[in-house]
Amino acid sequence: MIKEFIEASTALNNKYVAAWKKDGKKVVGYTCSYVPDEIFHAAGILPFRVRGFGATDTTIGDTYFGPFICSLPKCMLQLAGEGKFNFLDGAIITPGCDSMRRLDECWRKAGKDIEGAIPSFFFHYGVPHKYEDYTIKWFTEETRRLIAAVEEHFNVKITDANLKKAISVYNESRRLLDRFEALRTLDEPPFSGEEALAVILAGTTMPREEYNTLLEEFIAQAEKSPGIKNRVRLMLVGSANDDIGLVRVMEGEKALVVADNLCFGSRFYTDQVGENGDPVFELSKRYLGHNDCPRMYGDYQRRLNILEQKVKRAKIDGVVLQNIRFCDLHGAENGIFERDLEAKDIPCMRLEREYGPLVETGRMKMRVDAFIERIQQRREVA
Amino acid sequence: MRQETKEYKFDWMLWNTFAAASRLKSGSPKEYQAMLKYIPYFSRIVDTILSTGEPGQKFIEICSKYMENLTFAKEKGKKTAITTFCFSPAIFYAMDIVPICLEVLSVMMTFIYKRGTSEFLDYCNEVGFTETSCSSQRGTVGAYLAGIGTDVDMFVTDTPGVCDTNANAFSFASAYLNKPFFQLDMPPDLTGQRSNEYHREDFRALIRFLEAQTGKKLDYARLTENLRELARQDEIIAELEDLARIVPSPVPVPYNLMIYASRFLFAGMPECTGVLESMLKVARDNAAKNISGLSGGKEKLRAFFCYIDHYAQNMQLWQMLDDNGICYQGNILSHFWSHNAPHVAHYHKEDAAYHIDTSSEDALIDSLGMINSRMPMIKSIRGPYDAPNMWLEDTLGLAKIYNADFIVYNGTPGCRNTWGMVKLLARDTEKAGYPTYIMYADAFDSRVQSWEATEERFMEFLKVRRLV
Repeated sequence: MIKEFIEASTALNNKYVAAWKKDGKKVVGYTCSYVPDEIFHAAGILPFRVRGFGATDTTIGDTYFGPFICSLPKCMLQLAGEGKFNFLDGAIITPGCDSMRRLDECWRKAGKDIEGAIPSFFFHYGVPHKYEDYTIKWFTEETRRLIAAVEEHFNVKITDANLKKAISVYNESRRLLDRFEALRTLDEPPFSGEEALAVILAGTTMPREEYNTLLEEFIAQAEKSPGIKNRVRLMLVGSANDDIGLVRVMEGEKALVVADNLCFGSRFYTDQVGENGDPVFELSKRYLGHNDCPRMYGDYQRRLNILEQKVKRAKIDGVVLQNIRFCDLHGAENGIFERDLEAKDIPCMRLEREYGPLVETGRMKMRVDAFIERIQQRREVA
Repeated sequence: MRQETKEYKFDWMLWNTFAAASRLKSGSPKEYQAMLKYIPYFSRIVDTILSTGEPGQKFIEICSKYMENLTFAKEKGKKTAITTFCFSPAIFYAMDIVPICLEVLSVMMTFIYKRGTSEFLDYCNEVGFTETSCSSQRGTVGAYLAGIGTDVDMFVTDTPGVCDTNANAFSFASAYLNKPFFQLDMPPDLTGQRSNEYHREDFRALIRFLEAQTGKKLDYARLTENLRELARQDEIIAELEDLARIVPSPVPVPYNLMIYASRFLFAGMPECTGVLESMLKVARDNAAKNISGLSGGKEKLRAFFCYIDHYAQNMQLWQMLDDNGICYQGNILSHFWSHNAPHVAHYHKEDAAYHIDTSSEDALIDSLGMINSRMPMIKSIRGPYDAPNMWLEDTLGLAKIYNADFIVYNGTPGCRNTWGMVKLLARDTEKAGYPTYIMYADAFDSRVQSWEATEERFMEFLKVRRLV
């Protein structure tokens, strides 16, 4: 079962995508968790979270982006330039952060220079940086603008009924992922953090109904499986990570990542979308309001509270606060998280890294091992 | 941070330095020359600015006044707000709040101190702020994080949707110091009904926030007065910009900095108007006599900076341009988007410009929303660089109207936003016929690239492109 998830999470054009395309259906990529998948589901299109996974260099990315830019969008552009996203029929860019929002121009320019590098549907989807009545209103209009553009380009009709159906399917996913999360945080979790990330990531790359079926089976199997014992329990927080290998390196033989607060992780599925009322409004409200990303400025205290609750619930021994170099949003917030969590006797480690091939495996492994040792020594003293 | 740096409030030090500088010319020329020896790291700046005559004297005086206001804000029972250069302070003055503009203070320290803002830049990193963040905010915010500035009551920025590293500095500092935070958020489109409504609602929310923080209602009579003064400032700036188009330009090289700095410090206040009027008088006189504003008297080239300047010690950028007969035709900071600005009329960008309407309370708020959403940087780099009214269109339009021979990009490594698109911009400006130079220096931190290396590379570019 886990093999299915690992395959879906580690291959871009995985077998589900290939089968979908073989049926003549469309796939639209998006770069950020603020984009409501339900819209595409309602249009009969497969929503696919664009990633940089698998890039082995950034020569194409560096041609368009300047040097002081996060390596995640550079890797995404690299893959696009290499034709690895040729299965996409569309792409949605959001202003998740400055580096990511400039992927808009860089991808468009690369599309002019490299044949086939850009899909025919390309859309900039604005996302406010605050959650107020008038920002939800603006975001709802923006979502309607996206819907209209999808309808026009793909010659489809996105009805309220289809949206409600899609919301229901995705809410079912969220309920299943809540059960999955409960298993993940058991004293003896039945799967590793690497496997957990594979399960979550697979949801962003495969048809949702199939995902729900697989997930339900996985949970049923996991509920009967023996747990993993005697590991240091870590929580992974910070910049986007879609590489299960990174978690594998961190866990090694001594640790287990039993919780996270990542946009490719648990932030992606927490909270339901309201199933009553105007579906576009409900989607906009949920997607704008329940993504706990530091791009929503001035909301630090709420995010700290979320971390503290997760630490308590998952009995976390230590928090790894990581950021991709030049990701100032997570990097800076990690600095205050460290101050405030350490003050509450929760061990933290800050780690700056590059996105992409695990070129820094040795350094990271050494630092995480030292952190685990610190936690183990604390336990011995206690 | 060195112990001696922590001994005094840094803003009190800045006030004293500028207050002393404003009195330098009150003595004899001999006394003046003798005094310069005692301020080795500040002497060239003072000399360059004061050598512009009355405008320079007035400029130094308003810098001193600004620092005095914030140094004694608490003694006078006023609230203080840390804010950013691209946030028009007119609303703060209307609500009797003392603005503390991070970037302007960073420039002041970069001008004055031997080590610039390096200790405060580094202090930010010591307390958890990323070293990759923009040095323009870090340079000053470090002092406040270290507790060696005046007491801060709130943080107010308008860069979300425009510049993450700027907005993030405010968000970080407010969380670190546990102070109230407000953001004006910018949608990607500048114009159109949706954007206008968003700006309006957001500005109303800002007023509610400021009223809650101060416990006072907005004084509309005072706001009207401030906006009328701002309109007067726009008229003067428009005339200065028009004069700058003449060949040779009668506007001295340091005036660009003095225009935008005055505006960032005292928008809508008579202090700013005084400096602008004084500059206009000199520029008009020069124009009447067909005199170049360059100290050498001969204009060889015209440069347009598409982003910001380089504030390394002693105004060396301005000195380099002046020494080489390069007429400095401004940057993204020195061009405002009032309806009467020459570039607005010339390129029929009326919909992208703002009007000041003081006819009603609603009109006042709408005007403020429009002004803020069209501040330098806020206007031009919020959306895709090649979208209407954005960076490419503005750069090419301004370069053309001011007859620039070449375009220069300079920023800081923290400027994620422009570094994400500057290569594309340069490709397009080159295609349009403008040799374009991308500087890799840090405008506020000469440890990233020394001024000597920066100057050498700049001159190399001019030679390689056969501009000199």
